[in-house]
Amino acid sequence: KIFHLGACRVSLSMTEIRAGFAAIKADIQSRDPIRTLSILSHPHSLHKVKSSDRCCIAHQLFTFYVDKVFRHCRTEDSFVNRKISSIANSFLSVTRELGHCREQNNCVCGEESTEKFKQILANYEGLNVTSAAMKSLGELDILLDWVEKSH
Amino acid sequence: GELYCSLPNPRNVHFESINMKNVLHWSPPEGTADGVLYKVKYTVYGVGKWIRKPECRNINRTWCDLSSETSDYEEQYYASVKAFLNGKCSDWMETTRFNPLTDTKIDPPLVSVSSTDRSISIILTAPEKWKKSPEEESISLLQVYPGLQYNVCVLNKKTKKRWFFSISNNTLVVPWLEPRTVYCVSAQIHVTTPVLDSGFSKEHCITTLKDK
Repeated sequence: KIFHLGACRVSLSMTEIRAGFAAIKADIQSRDPIRTLSILSHPHSLHKVKSSDRCCIAHQLFTFYVDKVFRHCRTEDSFVNRKISSIANSFLSVTRELGHCREQNNCVCGEESTEKFKQILANYEGLNVTSAAMKSLGELDILLDWVEKSH
Repeated sequence: GELYCSLPNPRNVHFESINMKNVLHWSPPEGTADGVLYKVKYTVYGVGKWIRKPECRNINRTWCDLSSETSDYEEQYYASVKAFLNGKCSDWMETTRFNPLTDTKIDPPLVSVSSTDRSISIILTAPEKWKKSPEEESISLLQVYPGLQYNVCVLNKKTKKRWFFSISNNTLVVPWLEPRTVYCVSAQIHVTTPVLDSGFSKEHCITTLKDK
């Protein structure tokens, strides 16, 4: 399915990603005991990012998941691991598409998205890598909900 | 302060949600008869504090309506229940993380049908999101789920022939039908992502008019 994120268009197999996440959501979220911290949604909600900044923050977020999340989320459960790598592959291709879009200068990184992404990194770096990666993976539906709403 | 907590815990603490009316449910602690009281708290995921629900303090029922507290579907939530009996208490028992957008169930659409001699017209209405009071502005689930579609089933009661349609807008005209024949219509809501399907509505039957 094609998603419009600001000036960029990306094709995203949202139904498969959603199904993959739904299958492992309870397992992944149960590994995250911290209720009082969110990587993506607090203190600033993704839903407050203005449309002109969406493609930049989307590219930063998909790259964040590819570089800093999926690779640190290996579990002892092969079913969960397979679902994670399937989602990771989908994210990889979206990251490339968004990268091309940015290269064509259609995707400006404004102050808001820069600030927002800085906050996300600060939330992430406030935890040890495995906890931060597992928490971020448990918040995948927050990212997917935002992508669908922004579309 | 809390009493000595040796009471068995409430079980199966979970949200039951229909059209984003989000009600917390649980089962009594194992082996406890009557007289158990409960209190409830909830938290917005990522925000630092748990909030008590006053209307669900010292209650003996095993549910608590948290629709008002969980009405922002851009947020996710946890809720928790503690039991008390004869001076003893249980631990706080939590739900899994609740995402109103993906974890709600959706009612079937409203179906209204009219007919001519050789066609029937069907109008479908998606349910509304739960709202605090009748005065509050209504939000159709169509606004919440822009990808919402309808699956429609039309049955010729005489021949038992059945047609299925999948439509995005909310009206459907079925042409080339037989006059003076009963047709029954039922419909379902299908959201592609996140994947959400309502049940099928009950059948609405109508007889096509006499041939002109």
